[in-house]
Amino acid sequence: MNDDLKIVLFLCNWSPHAAYQTLQDTLAPLPLEIRMIRIPCSGRITKSLLFKAFETGADGVVLLGCEAGSCRYGIGTRVAQRNVEDTRGILKLLGLGEERLGFGSFNPDQHRELLDYLTAFRNKIAELGKTPVVPATRAKEIALSAESAASISRAHNVYVCQDCGKCSSACPLALTGKEFSPRAIANAAAAGDLDSPAIREDIWSCLTCGLCYDRCPSAVSFPDFIKDMRCATSANGKFNAHEGFFHSLMRAMTSPGLPVQHWNWLPPEIQTDPNSKTLFFGGCAPYFDTFFKNFLDISTSDILVDALRLMNFFDIRPAILQNERCCGHDLLWSGDRENFLKLARLNVEMISAMGIEELVTACPECYRAFSRDYPENGIKTGFKVKHIFELAEAEIGKGAVGFKKLNRKITYQDPCRLSRTQTGCELPRNLLKRLNVADFTEMRDHGASSLCCGNCAWTGCDSYSKAMQVNRLRQAGEAGANLLVTACPKCQIHLRCAMEDPFLENEIRMEMMDLTSLLAKTIEWQG
Amino acid sequence: MLAGQVMGLAACLSDHLEATFTQSYGPEARGGACSAQLIISDKQIHYPYVRNADILVCMSQTGYEKYRQMLKAEGTLIIDQDMVRSVEGATGDVFPVPATRMAEELGRKMMANIVMLGFVTSVTEAVSLKGMLSSVADSVPKGTEKTNIAAFNKGYDLGQAMLKARMKKAAARL
Repeated sequence: MNDDLKIVLFLCNWSPHAAYQTLQDTLAPLPLEIRMIRIPCSGRITKSLLFKAFETGADGVVLLGCEAGSCRYGIGTRVAQRNVEDTRGILKLLGLGEERLGFGSFNPDQHRELLDYLTAFRNKIAELGKTPVVPATRAKEIALSAESAASISRAHNVYVCQDCGKCSSACPLALTGKEFSPRAIANAAAAGDLDSPAIREDIWSCLTCGLCYDRCPSAVSFPDFIKDMRCATSANGKFNAHEGFFHSLMRAMTSPGLPVQHWNWLPPEIQTDPNSKTLFFGGCAPYFDTFFKNFLDISTSDILVDALRLMNFFDIRPAILQNERCCGHDLLWSGDRENFLKLARLNVEMISAMGIEELVTACPECYRAFSRDYPENGIKTGFKVKHIFELAEAEIGKGAVGFKKLNRKITYQDPCRLSRTQTGCELPRNLLKRLNVADFTEMRDHGASSLCCGNCAWTGCDSYSKAMQVNRLRQAGEAGANLLVTACPKCQIHLRCAMEDPFLENEIRMEMMDLTSLLAKTIEWQG
Repeated sequence: MLAGQVMGLAACLSDHLEATFTQSYGPEARGGACSAQLIISDKQIHYPYVRNADILVCMSQTGYEKYRQMLKAEGTLIIDQDMVRSVEGATGDVFPVPATRMAEELGRKMMANIVMLGFVTSVTEAVSLKGMLSSVADSVPKGTEKTNIAAFNKGYDLGQAMLKARMKKAAARL
């Protein structure tokens, strides 16, 4: 036996467990590396549970269920197949290898076949070797100490709060009807009342969209305050959306030895140049598409392809980093600074080693992380960080470029990370005005007052997030648009999720396209 | 006028070429078409007036009407697209440039000629970019060098972009 190998076996309670029991009763030579966990149904093992095993250092994971059609609950096997397929997609992108996740279905009498399967799987894992994932430590529940709360409050000027309530009257979450008040959080922090629900629970609900900061007469940077409060405590994943799948994914990416395959899927016509001094940093869109493939009709990787097309249009052939990791934005903003720093250091190290002078990204969160969160956390980048919109505006501004006619009425969803906290809302609007579309109308809440898509950093998604999204889509409808232009993959994911509502579907359904794609698809040379 | 002088200076002082510069204005100086004629050559120039121009730059419609016959059939015509509305009879390359508009966007309409200079430098390559930059900086009123250089670059970039656009379109037609 190879002591080091860890193989987790999720074993359905019904058919395969009966077979497994036969093997145990007959003292069959079951591979000792396999650690069995008995589960009620293979369909109940979500993508996040499957991946969690890899995040915490499993070398292989097997999910065994009943034969299709013999599932006690009807759809268990089908759901399990789907989950396995999606998780394998993620493993492939991470360079871990799809083969590390096994899936099989066995009848109660197939104990011999089961033994053969498990032995073969064990041998395959032994051949692949140890996982390159180093389990990232994450402290369990940390209580918020009075000192750190006070120093965070001081650092973000929470004590100068005038108790005017402008934040809470502007807060989109509060306006949706949630019992949530930035003012109450600020008051509790200033009073040192750390046991109040305002501190223990509400700091995890905040969207960190920054609308309150825009309205605050004392300029209390509430999003940064929330970010630091989250980092000083831990809710142990209690408020994580998608059962913490993306947090697991990001933490797994902190392992330096992971041979990530971030760009293998790029269409062949895209031109890149490994010696270029300009890097295109893609972001997590390929993971999003893989994770949501069976649930949402989204393709956020198109944004990356179109950003590269746009650069190619201007004869820029950027370098790309095959081993690209997540920028870590969501870890930082959900309170895990330690692993955010690991990702940040890894990224900067790899990018610097390529001799990059300028990094271009199409993701507002990557942009914010590289241009602001990295330096603020002591990570020196040494290269310039540019959003694709800045690059496009500068290149288009040189002239001789026009846009093909697009017979659509558009409206624009501002991403908080770009419009409110980084470049301001004028930059995308300058580009929008250049487009040759039938009409461009703003939604009721737009620009600095625009509404968040309902979620940030995969934290605190609930029915109020949904209500916000529905409200936002109704605004888009009221603006008379038939194409909703977005600028962040997350806005697309969250708004598309709301459109899946079977009761509202026809009322709020609207096609979406990223501004980057819109530019790349209609741009042409003129002169 | 100034534009021609700036370009001539660049040709002589930086690029070490021969250049002659003549200007015609009279009552036109009070509003009307005037012209500056510039000859640049690597050999000695014997006659300072232009008879068959390779390049004609027009900043007004009346200017175009008055001087168009001087341009060679295959000569390059560069116009301010908002000032010259019709280029009837042009047989060579025509480059429309929104020079006045760009100068307005930069804050001063007066700089349209500098924007145009940038464009001409870029498209015709009659003189070097380096020479033009120093010549522009030396010729404009003190204190306005920065804005004028910005205007020049704006025109130059447009020229580069337009050349690229034409190349790409030609490649696409093939």
